[in-house]
Amino acid sequence: MPEVMLVALPAWQFAALLLAPLAILAAAAAGLRRLVRRRGAQHEDKDWSVPPLADAAGTTLFHRWDIRCKLLTLIAYSFLVASLSRVAPALAAVAVSILALVLARSSWARVLMRLLAITGFLAMFLVVMPLTAPAHPGDTVLVIGGVDWIGFNLRGLTKALAIVAKATAIALLMEPLLTTAPLPVTLHGLTKLGAPDMAGQMVLLSHRYLHVFRHEAERMAAGMRVRGFRKRTDLETLRAVANFLGMLFVRSFERTERVFDAMRARGYRGRFPAPAELRMEKADLALSFAWLAIGAALVVYDRLSG
Amino acid sequence: MHISDGVLPISVTVGGYAASAAIAAWSARRTRSEELPKVAVVTAAFFVASLIHVPFGPTSVHLLIPGLAGALLGPSAFLAIGLGLLLQSMLFQFGGLTALGANALMMGVPALLCGVFFQRFKGRTRRRQAIIGGLAGALGTALAALVLALLLATGGEDFFGVAKIALAAHVPVVVIEGLVSAFTIGFLAKVKPALLEPAFVQSEKAAHA
Repeated sequence: MPEVMLVALPAWQFAALLLAPLAILAAAAAGLRRLVRRRGAQHEDKDWSVPPLADAAGTTLFHRWDIRCKLLTLIAYSFLVASLSRVAPALAAVAVSILALVLARSSWARVLMRLLAITGFLAMFLVVMPLTAPAHPGDTVLVIGGVDWIGFNLRGLTKALAIVAKATAIALLMEPLLTTAPLPVTLHGLTKLGAPDMAGQMVLLSHRYLHVFRHEAERMAAGMRVRGFRKRTDLETLRAVANFLGMLFVRSFERTERVFDAMRARGYRGRFPAPAELRMEKADLALSFAWLAIGAALVVYDRLSG
Repeated sequence: MHISDGVLPISVTVGGYAASAAIAAWSARRTRSEELPKVAVVTAAFFVASLIHVPFGPTSVHLLIPGLAGALLGPSAFLAIGLGLLLQSMLFQFGGLTALGANALMMGVPALLCGVFFQRFKGRTRRRQAIIGGLAGALGTALAALVLALLLATGGEDFFGVAKIALAAHVPVVVIEGLVSAFTIGFLAKVKPALLEPAFVQSEKAAHA
């Protein structure tokens, strides 16, 4: 097809066919977000804003998989998925990820939180790309209600859908990758794979103090609310937020010194003790090979179907 | 805005990882090695700061603070930002794991530039430090938005529209970020001026002054 195919659509048909599903998706996302938030408010102790990143010890395939094999395999697989370019293979990757979630018995609430976190960014692609992708020969462009300066390019829509599917597939894999072993063990595995020892230690320390400083920030925010501070769109709010930030930095830099002194007093010499003995068996390797074979098959499918 | 998985061409994600690993190694070398655990703890504070939302009309924006991180941490800022982004990706899915290298470049390089800018021009008076701090804050966000748009544009001309929208969406953030940074630096200049010297790199004496 050498020509750009223009399909004229009355505005109401366009709305019904394309905008309605998008609107429903957006409403669903907003509703879920409200639901998750309200749930979070009910159970004070379960705070998903900083999840602990480690499930209770499970016995699923993912929990038993050697951490080095698991990290290497799933990260390499993620890159393979990210390199796909068509919708169908990307959807197949989503299916594989859902299978992984079921196998790993991941918490659906946390999976949902991860998906909600990426909806805003991905929605931008879904909305903007069809409207701005330049029309090439062979494209189908929907012209809405006779307005010809803006067209809805279906090639842009497929491209955006492929991106959404890829992002979803990889985001879904994060729960099986990260929460089927305690964070120290995961980081130990990473250092065994060649990451600098210090990098792992820094992640552990940051992760631990994140909770501390978040509590500190909440305490300070509560104090401000009690004194009648309400956030508005004005300069005074910005000044108050800036003072808040400044105070947070002052307190946390001071705390950092104390933490470091305490660590040294307890004999810290630049390393933490190893959290676990790692053992790799043939089954671990077999699972890795099988998983990577799936990834390779997806890439081959992606290239051939073009 | 953090780039999620599957958006960038695979060559850009891999290149982003390689470049940010090299800069992170440089950043770690510029930080005195026994101070690295401190950088980790300070990163946690910046992480929490970046979760703060500021109302903007009917909606709200959250602070990005690459400018402030650069001004306060100097060359260690890249390490801190990389670490923070890794944690955001692991905990919240803000930014994809495969796009981590590109995200680190997007926030970390502006932070380094802002750090140099702030330390060079901050002068001695509080007023001047606040103004330069505000400029650094605005500059950091503007540069980050620019890098984001450039990274998105590597996907080809289909991505140009998204890149433009992303750039436009950052304009109010640049203004808010600049004002908040100016006030924060002004506050720190009043309350604890020692923090405005780049942390973790100076001589032993200054660190404990």
